[in-house]
Amino acid sequence: MTVTTDPVALNEWVPCAWHGQIAIGAALDTMIFGQDIRVERTGDQDYRVTTFGGDSPRELPVQTRYTCVFTTLGDDPRALPEIPEFDEADRRITGCGRVGVNTSPYRIVENFLDMAHFSFIHTDILGAADQTEVLSYRTEHRKDVDEIWAIDCTFYQPAASKAAAGGQLTKYLYRVMSPFSVMLYKNVATDPSRNDAICVFIQPRRETECLAYMPMAIVDEQSTIADIIDFQQSIFLQDRVILENQRPALLPLDPTYELPTRADASSIAYRRWLKAMNIRFGILEKQAA
Amino acid sequence: MSVAQGRWTGVALDHQIQPASSNPVVLNGQALAVWRGEDGPVRVWEDRCPHRGMRLSFGFVRGNTLRCIYHGWAYGADGQCAEIPAHPALAPPKTICANSYPAETRYGIVWTTLGDGASGPPDLGPDEGWEGVRSLFVAASAEAALTALARFDFGAGATTRMLAGDIVEVSFGPELRMLVVVQAMDDERAALHAAAKGARATEERAALAKRLERLRADIEQA
Amino acid sequence: MTIRLYDYSLSGSCYKVRLMLGFLGLDYDRVQIDFYPGRQHRSPEFMEINPLGQLPVLEDDGLRLRDAQAILCHLANKHDDSGQWLPRDQARFGPVMMWVMFAGGELMAASAARLHDALGYDLDIEAARAKARAAFRVLDDHLTGREIDGGKWIVGDTPTIADVACFPYVALAGDGGLGHEEYPALRNWMRDFRRLPRFHAMSGIPEFV
Repeated sequence: MTVTTDPVALNEWVPCAWHGQIAIGAALDTMIFGQDIRVERTGDQDYRVTTFGGDSPRELPVQTRYTCVFTTLGDDPRALPEIPEFDEADRRITGCGRVGVNTSPYRIVENFLDMAHFSFIHTDILGAADQTEVLSYRTEHRKDVDEIWAIDCTFYQPAASKAAAGGQLTKYLYRVMSPFSVMLYKNVATDPSRNDAICVFIQPRRETECLAYMPMAIVDEQSTIADIIDFQQSIFLQDRVILENQRPALLPLDPTYELPTRADASSIAYRRWLKAMNIRFGILEKQAA
Repeated sequence: MSVAQGRWTGVALDHQIQPASSNPVVLNGQALAVWRGEDGPVRVWEDRCPHRGMRLSFGFVRGNTLRCIYHGWAYGADGQCAEIPAHPALAPPKTICANSYPAETRYGIVWTTLGDGASGPPDLGPDEGWEGVRSLFVAASAEAALTALARFDFGAGATTRMLAGDIVEVSFGPELRMLVVVQAMDDERAALHAAAKGARATEERAALAKRLERLRADIEQA
Repeated sequence: MTIRLYDYSLSGSCYKVRLMLGFLGLDYDRVQIDFYPGRQHRSPEFMEINPLGQLPVLEDDGLRLRDAQAILCHLANKHDDSGQWLPRDQARFGPVMMWVMFAGGELMAASAARLHDALGYDLDIEAARAKARAAFRVLDDHLTGREIDGGKWIVGDTPTIADVACFPYVALAGDGGLGHEEYPALRNWMRDFRRLPRFHAMSGIPEFV
């Protein structure tokens, strides 16, 4: 495809590399929204991102946060979200590299928001085959930050995290920060007063071709980083086979095209929000009658 | 496309669609889930769960319901959603229904159509005594597969004749004949489904299958 | 007796070994290696354990082994008194080894396609997929012949290490953009395999059959 002209999609910050992926002095060629870009690491914390191919090259803004390098093609992008957990000194901060997923970015976000699949796709880990019920929860559009939240979520989990010693009723808070980023807070097995923070930031290469980054700020003194990464990657690759086999890959916003139930309240809120912002990139256009 | 939308086409061998299984099939670019309950007939549905679009060919069968792998939604033989595990007490609305196509097993082959199915599968004589030989999948258009099939040398004494636009009969004498049905997957891929009948059908099945592998090589070299 | 597996959950080759340990009912310790993104399998410390820098590695009572196929042979040779998983008779031993080698050879093209699509490995994806399809066709033809002869496993009347070695990268084909549409015999064999007692799934292979 050519570079998208959708101004809504273009005015978002998206990741284009994870910090540590590129050696100092080296560069990585990648793509956002159909636009070829080159990410050069010019210093320990310094990156330079430029477009190439097509029009005359231009330099893009860069930020390094949450283990990722972010850039944007927009002139007036939405700010990156504040996630204070990443600044707490005792947290284990890690990314999981990046994982390729051949679908639209919205399918990835919706899957991350969804509790009803835990028993079937993350069996014996995030859900039990005999405890499939999703209890009612609330969603809200927080207009001050223009984010979608799902609150009062609970689900029975046999092994909620690498640190969990057994089954627990896990409390979740979900937060959609942009069309291409989502995160959750879930209560820590060993300390009920604190929450693990797990994010997914999506780099849309093309409409149905994405790279997913999963920065985490975890409360866990025991596990090795290898264990924490392995747990999160295992979960994500259980989802990936689903994501790549949803049809169509583009997201339908027509509410009669795919039929939700109460457990999908967060997906419904997310789709309504996408529709209201009139985003076109990666969205299934209405078929001509 | 060589196969008109309304026409019935063979899409699998009956014996290869096992009890309690769901299988992916592509017909004229349309993805289908071909599934069978723990007992009973084969069903052909659109390969898409009405809930969140997950392919139903990834689903699993319990009793005579097909469950979507993603959220376990259960669909009965009529396509109606019968259960939503996230809400065990909820009676699923009637609007939640898998999109199904006509399906029939005849001559050891599963037939379907993307049209209304009014005509039924082709009538090629009595249904008794047919057994599946094997299916072939070729990196060639259905037209190219048919052309190569029609002129393929099935061995001494074998005669080949076209029964319909996409069906060929190969006769090996009074004790053995074979049907080969060509299915367009898309513009570049086709499937062939072969079934045999006659006193020698069972003992010759392995040899026929090997011969069909030679046909596959022929088609792909053409 | 202690068995230790240097393991990466997402590796289909490590999964072969985990499957075999499960079928044999063996307890073992896992050492999690950060294969991606950490590339810990290429670290100096791990290169001392396996100079090829590859997973899995198995330690069994002082013996240290690399290569999933070799490890399957070892486990069946040492820990399977029934002889089912590695038959020693002349009719089956050779064919089992032939398909075990196929799993470590031709079928690994499907692993390459998966590493490209999921983890961004820089390789010729169309070539990898073409090789994987060719390998799938060879195994599908073989299993079609087996079905005609009344068999459902790759060799003989029981599952063997040939089935264990071939299963993961056939089942994980979709992770590399390869569908199962064109392999009816593979689909039926995979379903039978997934219904074996003590079978367990891995990421990319759904739990429910």
